[in-house]
Amino acid sequence: MIKRVLIANRGEIALRILRACRQLGIEAVVAYSEADRESRAVLVADEAICIGPADAKRSYLSAPAVISAALATGCDAIHPGYGFLSENASFAEAAAAHGLTFIGPSAEVLERFESKAEVRALLAKHGLPTIPGSDGVVPDEAAAAKAAAKIGYPVILKAAAGGGGRGMRVAQSADELAQHFSICTQEAQAAFGDGSLYLEKYLIDTHHVEVQVAVDKSGTALHFGERDCSVQRRHQKLVEESPSTALTPKVREEFLTRVAKAVGAAGYRNLGTLEFLVGPDGKPYFIEINCRIQVEHPVTEMVTGVDLVALQIRLAAGELMPMTQAEVERRGHAIEFRLTAEDPVHEFRPQAGEITTFRSPSGPWVRFDSHLYAGYEVPPYYDSLLAKLIVWGNTREEAIARSRAALREVEIGGVETTRDFYLGLLETPAFLNGTATTSMLDTIGTADILAAAPKARV
Amino acid sequence: MAHDTERLGDLLDSLLPVLVERLHETGLGEIEIERDGATVRVRAEDLAAHVPSASASVASRAGVPVTAAAPTAADERRHPVRSTAVGFVKLAPDIHVGGKVAKGSLVATVDVLGVAVEVRADHAGIVAKLRCASGDPVEYGQELFLLESVGEGKL
Repeated sequence: MIKRVLIANRGEIALRILRACRQLGIEAVVAYSEADRESRAVLVADEAICIGPADAKRSYLSAPAVISAALATGCDAIHPGYGFLSENASFAEAAAAHGLTFIGPSAEVLERFESKAEVRALLAKHGLPTIPGSDGVVPDEAAAAKAAAKIGYPVILKAAAGGGGRGMRVAQSADELAQHFSICTQEAQAAFGDGSLYLEKYLIDTHHVEVQVAVDKSGTALHFGERDCSVQRRHQKLVEESPSTALTPKVREEFLTRVAKAVGAAGYRNLGTLEFLVGPDGKPYFIEINCRIQVEHPVTEMVTGVDLVALQIRLAAGELMPMTQAEVERRGHAIEFRLTAEDPVHEFRPQAGEITTFRSPSGPWVRFDSHLYAGYEVPPYYDSLLAKLIVWGNTREEAIARSRAALREVEIGGVETTRDFYLGLLETPAFLNGTATTSMLDTIGTADILAAAPKARV
Repeated sequence: MAHDTERLGDLLDSLLPVLVERLHETGLGEIEIERDGATVRVRAEDLAAHVPSASASVASRAGVPVTAAAPTAADERRHPVRSTAVGFVKLAPDIHVGGKVAKGSLVATVDVLGVAVEVRADHAGIVAKLRCASGDPVEYGQELFLLESVGEGKL
């Protein structure tokens, strides 16, 4: 039983968690840094507590500050959202040691699924196909070169503790691998506090497809369909949709069933997402697991009607799976657009400053998750996500048509945003015909996509 | 004369915090007191300009506009001492209304999961108003108490 949750995150996800808590009749306290005092989650919350200065290391990333805030406000659980401390096993362990329920997998489960290199081996053992790669972490440059020679170039170096597309570099040759290895180690060390690297064969022209799963404490594992997140820029997801155009109906059902079974058998618990690359052969290869709620979870919520955040809280509280696989019905098609404070005209340069005008789109089958309001100051310290537009349609074509209409209703003034980029994307054949792969933006280019955007006044 | 100045200093030290506290509590405009042939007068208008930031943020949260007052000379003498961490506060023994605080002295600790995080005074002064009690949960940046600096030149 969870009675009172500390929301240890910011932006739109803090608001999303707050809504889930209210719906479940659970009290919520929003933890915020000094830079987020005027954020919408703080304004809307019944209670909020300042946990530290703007610097995330001393606020959202400080385990002692977050746990102390939970104790000071009488909470019995912590929801970490995504990013920050959400997949940190020692944080989950410390929370539990103070009698707090960590809303996510337990520390023990997080630890087992922490190292990307080891998880590959674990899930391969449970029947998931993986991309050829190094056998776990490569301790040094020589080991990396040896593994790469065996796999064949190009290869991608990845941080074992990484996430969010950071700490990754592609090497086309042994020379490039030698160049990248130390840089990549340093980057991983700086970003994740762990410089360990592993490598995989780098597949070109792949779809990024991920499967949403949930597992209760008894090991009952369900899947909630897949999401296609192939539209990326430098490994950052821009657009996500469900279902994926890369899977045939025959491949899809067998694949989803196999994933749910494997993740449950491997001992995973709570909400999670397994990421795959689908190559030109149409077959998915496992790359990594994310042990948290994801930014793009609304896509799945729109096609299944399941409130994933509420489900996550209930599973963390120890409830058994409240539904069967047969009851998870997937209907129609949903697309999400991540609207960020970035200037697509200038290399997606990050923006900060006051939101002068703000109008959110509405209408049937339109969902808009955002923490913005006119007068809100976008702080420069955190990620640039401003809003998520999620649109549903009976078919992909209908979802796209409704997305065009909804995007044109979006008005965010004061900072440059990626809205027009998405309007252009919705006129780009590679996206419209469902063949967009993760390398699309390298071949088409931002300028051409922007040029395709209709010039009409909003 | 030296004796008089010293006497006046002692008088101010003992009276001023009490008067300041009384003014805050009663909402009176002005308090004047005569003792040992000296008159001390404290006017509220100087003090009223100080809006405690904790209540200011609560007010703005509720949608009530908060108008910032222009700083006054009194403002410059009043220093909120803020929590340096989130947790449970413990005030130092000499932190009570009227207590004297030396610059840089340890005025409180905040218990963060068993670790005592120090709060030190940025200014010397006299505790004019407590805004928390030992054992209270406090947030980062919360005002713990108000310090009134007594400018030597003005005595």
